[in-house]
Amino acid sequence: MNKLIITNNSLVFEKYHSNYDVIYLKDAGYLDVLYAARDRIHLSYVLLTHPMAGSLKPNQTPYKSIIVAQGENGLDIESVVLIENSISAAQKFLRDRGTPSWSEKILSDFRTVDLSLMEDAIQKRSLIAI
Amino acid sequence: MKLELGKILIQDVQFGDKTEVVNGTLFVNKEEIVELVLEDDRLIGADVELARPGEAVRIAPVKDVIEPRVKVTGGGALFPGMINKVEQVGSGRTHALVGATVITCGQIVGFQEGLIDMSGPAAKYCPFSKTNNVVLVIKPADGLETHDYETAGRLAGLKVAAYVGEAGRNIEPDEVVVYETKPLLEQALQYPDLPKIGYVHMLQSQGLLHDTYYYGVDAKQLVPTFMYPTEIMDGAIVSGNCVAPCDKVTTFHHLNNPIIEDLFKRHGKDLNFMGVVLTNENVFLADKDRSSDMTAKLCHFLGFEGVIISEEGYGNPDTDLMMNCQKVSQKGIKVVLITDEFPGRDGKSQSLADTVDEADALVSCGNGNMIIHFPPMEKVIGTLDFIETMIGGYEGSLKPDGSIEAELQIVIASTIANGYNRLAARGH
Amino acid sequence: MSKIKVVHYLNQFFAQIGGEEMADIEPEIREGLIGPGLALQQALGADYEIVATVICGDNYFGSNLEEAQSRILELIKPYSPQLFIAGPAFNAGRYGVACGTIAAAVEKEFGIPALTGMYVENPGVEMFKKDLYIIETANSAAGMRKAMPKIANLAQKLIKGDEILPPAVDGYHERGIRVNYFHDQRGSARAVDMLLQKVKGEEYQTEYPMPYFDRVPPATPIADMSKAKVAIVSSGGIVPVGNPDRIESSSATKFGKYDVTGMDRMSKDDFISIHGGYDTAYILEDPNLAIPLDVLREMEKEGRIGELANYFYSTTGTGTSVGNAEVFGTEIGKQLLADGVTAVILTST
Repeated sequence: MNKLIITNNSLVFEKYHSNYDVIYLKDAGYLDVLYAARDRIHLSYVLLTHPMAGSLKPNQTPYKSIIVAQGENGLDIESVVLIENSISAAQKFLRDRGTPSWSEKILSDFRTVDLSLMEDAIQKRSLIAI
Repeated sequence: MKLELGKILIQDVQFGDKTEVVNGTLFVNKEEIVELVLEDDRLIGADVELARPGEAVRIAPVKDVIEPRVKVTGGGALFPGMINKVEQVGSGRTHALVGATVITCGQIVGFQEGLIDMSGPAAKYCPFSKTNNVVLVIKPADGLETHDYETAGRLAGLKVAAYVGEAGRNIEPDEVVVYETKPLLEQALQYPDLPKIGYVHMLQSQGLLHDTYYYGVDAKQLVPTFMYPTEIMDGAIVSGNCVAPCDKVTTFHHLNNPIIEDLFKRHGKDLNFMGVVLTNENVFLADKDRSSDMTAKLCHFLGFEGVIISEEGYGNPDTDLMMNCQKVSQKGIKVVLITDEFPGRDGKSQSLADTVDEADALVSCGNGNMIIHFPPMEKVIGTLDFIETMIGGYEGSLKPDGSIEAELQIVIASTIANGYNRLAARGH
Repeated sequence: MSKIKVVHYLNQFFAQIGGEEMADIEPEIREGLIGPGLALQQALGADYEIVATVICGDNYFGSNLEEAQSRILELIKPYSPQLFIAGPAFNAGRYGVACGTIAAAVEKEFGIPALTGMYVENPGVEMFKKDLYIIETANSAAGMRKAMPKIANLAQKLIKGDEILPPAVDGYHERGIRVNYFHDQRGSARAVDMLLQKVKGEEYQTEYPMPYFDRVPPATPIADMSKAKVAIVSSGGIVPVGNPDRIESSSATKFGKYDVTGMDRMSKDDFISIHGGYDTAYILEDPNLAIPLDVLREMEKEGRIGELANYFYSTTGTGTSVGNAEVFGTEIGKQLLADGVTAVILTST
């Protein structure tokens, strides 16, 4: 299965783009990453990581990374339900309060945590056949 | 495994020349604590402050809360695999300074863990407004990398808690509670007519600031396993999670897991408490499939008739919670879930990120999105600089007079999803 | 001390103007109380006064949502009400939707407490429970005597700012809003109790009911469309000119079956839409947009579908209760099966 990383986090892009396919949505928002994953899922991609990974709420951190892979069996309903629930949850939080414009130091911390959420999934699981 | 937990009741905490317990008062030597912390050269500053119930004190940002304990007899030492060797724990005799805690406080990242108010309207939401707290405020070396700082902070808290706990070694406890779980088949035979009940304990395991450790092993690396309940009382499970204040399971909460306590209370009376299944909450979906399959398999294999499942976190962990619920239920085992809720500011949206039909028995630990108002406090331990970036806080949360308007999420352990508190939510 | 000013909303029936034949009357306001307003006044007591009753026909309201609301708000304004009560509507669907709509609008516009009462199956409950307190009532006006005191009690609490208790206590439909409170026991102890009840097969009460998804298993797909008999069923409110069956423009209580034998397409001379929930301009011009007769006839000629049924079924979707929709679906399904139909195209708007 070909892994595809969808992210708006420059740290994730920098670390992985040489060895993996990365769609880097520079300057895009949290929801944009979810939408990009959803669009591909409707074209038969399968989710490999949970779109709501991490306890940082969608109206707190601006960064999101998701790993998908090209599926072989048509539409994966579980991925569809999972991504749509995640979008719905994100919209719920963003409706209450938008993401603040953080200082560069804080943005850097958010990027670090988001990268860490992906690291285990990418590095230690990359040889596992799904 | 059998453990005698000796509870030494602490009513007050003071500074003193010697770290000791005298007639229910815990004295701590500030200099020794600071010296202990600074042994780790990742940290260049440490300060110790005291916070007692009823004081007009606010503590922020909080990293972890730990109950001081000491292993008196029985093999192994507190927090195995973290600050002591990995040797097995959970038997013999352990003393706990009940009513005292060590709290680590300090900045790791720009968005921070939560706050504790020792008095006022927010105090009732936090168990630590009722304990005598030794607050350790730490400062990292310049440019210290985030992972290293988190590790240093975590270890500092554990070391200080163990150091303070030593003061209880030779004190006669006010109360001794005996907890015993026999090896599986013997346990089953001990109360053959009582329903066999297990506890599925889900450990947070997503990444930096989202980790938990079992004998020092990062929970991400675990496959579901089986634990004697008493192991947790000696610190076999330690928290490395400090992102979402309200449902953060502090190391204190691991040591004092309320589900384990309440199951033991009924053990031998109307249930047979068989043991604890540990599992995790990974980000990688295949890990979730594997862990939930194995959790269900273990519960079935071990002959449970009913289980309680608790989780830590929101969103991604809700999926694990539901997968576990579904698969365990499908084995014919009765399941009750404990979780907190995030139905949005107006309380009208979906509380959980995921649902399954089998989740028909749920205990609620409260709505974390509710807005509360905290008055200004005379004294702040730590700093209020980060209130607005804490989860539950937002621009305008911190008023010029020092009062705060924020979501309940911002209070440490206010909606913790293991049922430690009496807070719940209901439908209106 | 001056009395709390109350305005009461009634439909044409409860305002004693007339029945279904008067359902088109436009909004009007009269001084004082009318009909059930007496029971409301008595229940509220001497500190409250119904200063005016505003009336509107259910059909008029349902077909002119925007206008009805703005006109009613204008009529109410001069009375400066401090409390607004609509209905109760019991099980009357259009009335319930009107009550919910106007109460929500009044609350928003004037910032005053507004409430109403309905029977559990009234579509207005599902639509408005999150926005308003809706008192639980019986399914007919026979329940008026029991309903008014409950309405009055909750209204008084809202005026005084007293704590509103859970739905079972204060008598309103559960709104699905999660509210915190402190229980006597901690969560873990409650979990142990609940688990033992469940294990022993005893009744237990979950603290968070999961959302209920009424799932219907899908039928097996058609293997060969060129052999299928296809029929059209629509909730778009398409009816013959003149609406001979008098299907309602919202909260429908019936469906119709209409003949299209010999027609290659839907003509605007024969068919209209009476649906009150969308802008019907395009469909009035070309009803094929809701009942795709033109395309299906072509497909029938080309042999892409086996046969097109020479009728279509129609009702109005907006405001129609789930209960009624289930009844329609079951009945229509039976009739289609009896006629050998194997596939249905469901059009909505």
